[in-house]
Amino acid sequence: MVWGEYPAEFNPKVHGPYDPARFYGKKDTPFTQVRLRELGSWLARRNKTPRAATQAVSRAWWRWQQKYLLPEKMGVAPFIQIAVGSMAFFYLINYTKYKAHRTQKYHW
Amino acid sequence: MLSRLAARSSSVAVRLAHTSSSASQAAASATPATTNEERNEVDFPRTKRPIHPAPVRMGFIPETWFELLYSKTGVTGPYVLGTGLITYLVSKEIYVIEHEFYSGVIMAMMAAYGIKKFGPTVAATLDDQLAKEKEEMLSGRNNTIKALTEGIAASELSAEQAKGQSLLFQAKRDNIGLQLEAAYRQRLQSVYAEVKKRLDYQLEKSNVEKRFEQRHMVDWIVQNVRQSITPAQEAASLKQCITDLKALAARA
Repeated sequence: MVWGEYPAEFNPKVHGPYDPARFYGKKDTPFTQVRLRELGSWLARRNKTPRAATQAVSRAWWRWQQKYLLPEKMGVAPFIQIAVGSMAFFYLINYTKYKAHRTQKYHW
Repeated sequence: MLSRLAARSSSVAVRLAHTSSSASQAAASATPATTNEERNEVDFPRTKRPIHPAPVRMGFIPETWFELLYSKTGVTGPYVLGTGLITYLVSKEIYVIEHEFYSGVIMAMMAAYGIKKFGPTVAATLDDQLAKEKEEMLSGRNNTIKALTEGIAASELSAEQAKGQSLLFQAKRDNIGLQLEAAYRQRLQSVYAEVKKRLDYQLEKSNVEKRFEQRHMVDWIVQNVRQSITPAQEAASLKQCITDLKALAARA
């Protein structure tokens, strides 16, 4: 497997046209249906290589796009989601600075 | 390092070539999707562009998150969770309320007002544009479909007409046969008439010749006989006649 190839599990004869949002590997229990005591084995079964992580993020990005951004009558939701997400992200990366406000009695 | 890179790149190239050929093969085999028995349409249906986006609550939170908690916590569960989380974060000052918070609240209010106020009109305008663009994009395809349908209808009509053409040809052939027959009979008639005319001519000619010959002969004989009769003979015959008359008169 090199750059620019489809996943090894993808077989156009069986799967038809390639959908970047879809996972073509062996199906496992969805995360939302995993019981707490099975969580360890479920996590142990995950493929934790950087490549797999990248693929997972890419799939998630495509799935989000297909859900909110690409429909014909898309609304304002994806933009709000991006705004809220970036707000949270920048709050987190600046959190050390904001934390300092706690100790100050008078805020400028 | 460089040699390793070169080795890798060469293997990459080989693999790329291999995959491209296999991909083209796969594409070729994937095109007749209806005949492919391996194709799993149930688990891997063809991706379609949805009309409406996935539903959200409060403008951006996916409906599925609420559904996820619904079976465990009921309708209010997610709201309680969210409110409780925020309360916890604020009260423990994990989430620090600094000056950006207020500007954030005001911007959120402005955004909400703007979306509520102008959202529907913008959506209607964009939907109109979308419908127009879609129509433009599909018009070529639709026109082609229409033209092809018309073409099929026209060719079917002409095939039907060609079938009628054979009937027409048969009728024409019959007609020509009748004409030929008529001409043939007419010619037969004319041949008959011509032959009859010639034969009549010959007959008439021979009749005329015969009549002429006969008359000539009769005239000639009569002339010769007259010439041969002498006045003495005439007188003798006249005397004989008178005697014959006398004898007859005596008997009567």
